[in-house]
Amino acid sequence: MDFLANLALGFGVALTPANLGFALVGCLVGTLVGVLPGIGPVATVAMLLPLTFHLEPVSGLIMLAGIFYGAQYGGSTTAILVNMPGETSSVVTCIDGHQMARNGRAGAALTVAALGSFFAGTVATFMIALFSPPLAKVGQSFGAPEYFSLMVVGLIAAVVLAHGSIIKAVAMVLLGLLLGLVGTDGQTGGQRFTFGITILSDGIGFVPLAIGVFGLGEVIANLVHPQQRRDLVSSKISNLWLTKEEFKQAWPASVRGTLVGSILGVLPGGGATLSAFAGYVVEKKLARDPSRFGKGAIEGVAGPESANNAGAQASFIPMLTLGIPGNAVMALMIGALTIHGIQPGPQVMTERPALFWGMVASMWIGNLMLVIINLPMIGLWVQLLKVPYRQLYLAILLFSAIGVYTVNNNSFEVILTALFGVLGYVFIRLECEPAPLLLGFILGPLMEENLRRAMRISGGDPMIFLNRPISLGLLIAAALLLLVVALPFIRGKRDEVFQG
Amino acid sequence: MPAPPPRFHFLRRADVLAGLLFIAVAVIGLWASRHYPIGTTTRMGTGYVPRLLCWILLALGALIVVQGLRAGGFIELGRPIWRAMVFVPLSLLVFAFLIGPFGVVAATVALVLVGALAGRESRPLEVVAVAVLLVVLTLTIFVWGVGLPIPVWPEW
Repeated sequence: MDFLANLALGFGVALTPANLGFALVGCLVGTLVGVLPGIGPVATVAMLLPLTFHLEPVSGLIMLAGIFYGAQYGGSTTAILVNMPGETSSVVTCIDGHQMARNGRAGAALTVAALGSFFAGTVATFMIALFSPPLAKVGQSFGAPEYFSLMVVGLIAAVVLAHGSIIKAVAMVLLGLLLGLVGTDGQTGGQRFTFGITILSDGIGFVPLAIGVFGLGEVIANLVHPQQRRDLVSSKISNLWLTKEEFKQAWPASVRGTLVGSILGVLPGGGATLSAFAGYVVEKKLARDPSRFGKGAIEGVAGPESANNAGAQASFIPMLTLGIPGNAVMALMIGALTIHGIQPGPQVMTERPALFWGMVASMWIGNLMLVIINLPMIGLWVQLLKVPYRQLYLAILLFSAIGVYTVNNNSFEVILTALFGVLGYVFIRLECEPAPLLLGFILGPLMEENLRRAMRISGGDPMIFLNRPISLGLLIAAALLLLVVALPFIRGKRDEVFQG
Repeated sequence: MPAPPPRFHFLRRADVLAGLLFIAVAVIGLWASRHYPIGTTTRMGTGYVPRLLCWILLALGALIVVQGLRAGGFIELGRPIWRAMVFVPLSLLVFAFLIGPFGVVAATVALVLVGALAGRESRPLEVVAVAVLLVVLTLTIFVWGVGLPIPVWPEW
């Protein structure tokens, strides 16, 4: 069986002592930063990205995946213990997880989050192994028009799933596309928007953009609007075990959450956050006694935590097989692959099977490591949470600066980061969601290239996008997505979901 | 009685400002790309896609402004905003300019000292302690641990 042979190849790569070590370091560092409040997974991954640049591509990606999962886990720990989501996908975990902690069941909440995530991660890893090859095959049959339409779907989905005004989200996509075009035009060699700055002819780096907009913007926001006092549950977390009753309530929720997350994660625009919200809604709807929710219902932790991990992992599928990022973190992953000299797309699986399957296998290993290291190390993470923000943000600033600087040993990128930081805060204040911007930024050059190719094939006739069946289907899907969100009924639901 | 709205309050709405921001970017983009060759649809030149995007962005920006004018409310501006908005980026700029000639140790200390001005509740002794700790961490993790090729000490 191909499937098993592929996984065997992957585990062969991932289980070498060196790569196990990198996975472990990645998980640890990711959790460490993920625990810190006020830095989301995008900023975490962006900040730690430079640590992986000096490694072999496989090892670098394995470590990066570890960082990503670590950040996810860290986020739920803060959600449960401090009622502060380390990242948006843990927002719902706060609701019941923190109540459980206040009821003296912090240990159980952490265990259920960890085990639920591990279960979801295992299932999602198998899903990746199962569905990636056929999807990549589909991708290989795509021509320029299909790719262009696919990216349109991805961007529309990102817009639809962004908070707040849709027009603003579209404008953010356009802004991202424009920023992505800065530099030398790959086709004609012409300079665009470089304003005479030589370094800009290589384009704007995505690390400065991501760290600035997502990381520094948040820091400024946190300084301007200090968080209310953190509600740290500091009673000793003695009992990590679930009671029989809790286990009975939790496992079906975990399975349902995994299912929800696996499906939503694959969709463009999906991923951890959407999955977590959907997972919570499902649990509340199915519960025999919905009034328990919000008061420490264990299903309210198990469902969304499984869903967000499954979703986070499933969102690797379109990224790895088609080269299309479904969300901001995947956009970062694409950037990281490119820095390692790998052009993401369907050819990765066939041309670099060891890299592809090694990464898939390391996802499962990373999930396992997180269960093992996280539960015993809870005490350490709690200590970290006691560090006041007035000290913490200085460390964030420093690691951002060093992270950006070491990408190219280039001071200019640090300056750029500072500017993007201000812009990031402006976006927060003006209620412009930055995720669509990052997606547009990553997809900008790719979209232009495919648009140009498509136009050359068709001799300048835009009908080519409607004449080819797959492309037409994708564009119809994009149009439906927009239409659906425009309907007043769904609009209300969408706002409701985002209100959490 | 509610406080009277500030002057130019219609300009202080999130959507109006966001729209104006998009318009500004679009206008700058159109101006900067005024000499870029457009080419034809079949063979697109350097300026084709960027100018197209700028025009769409301009239209969207205008739409957002109009929407914003119809909505209510305004955003508060205050002293702490400027503090954080000036000193956070400034701390990175200081780092950027110092790390080349003076090395990461000096740059780290400078970043922490400038960055501390961004917060409202920084305590001098604590800031010094944080600076020392972060220098130690930087050296152990990034320089000796990962072996990043960055200048450590001033070069003379």
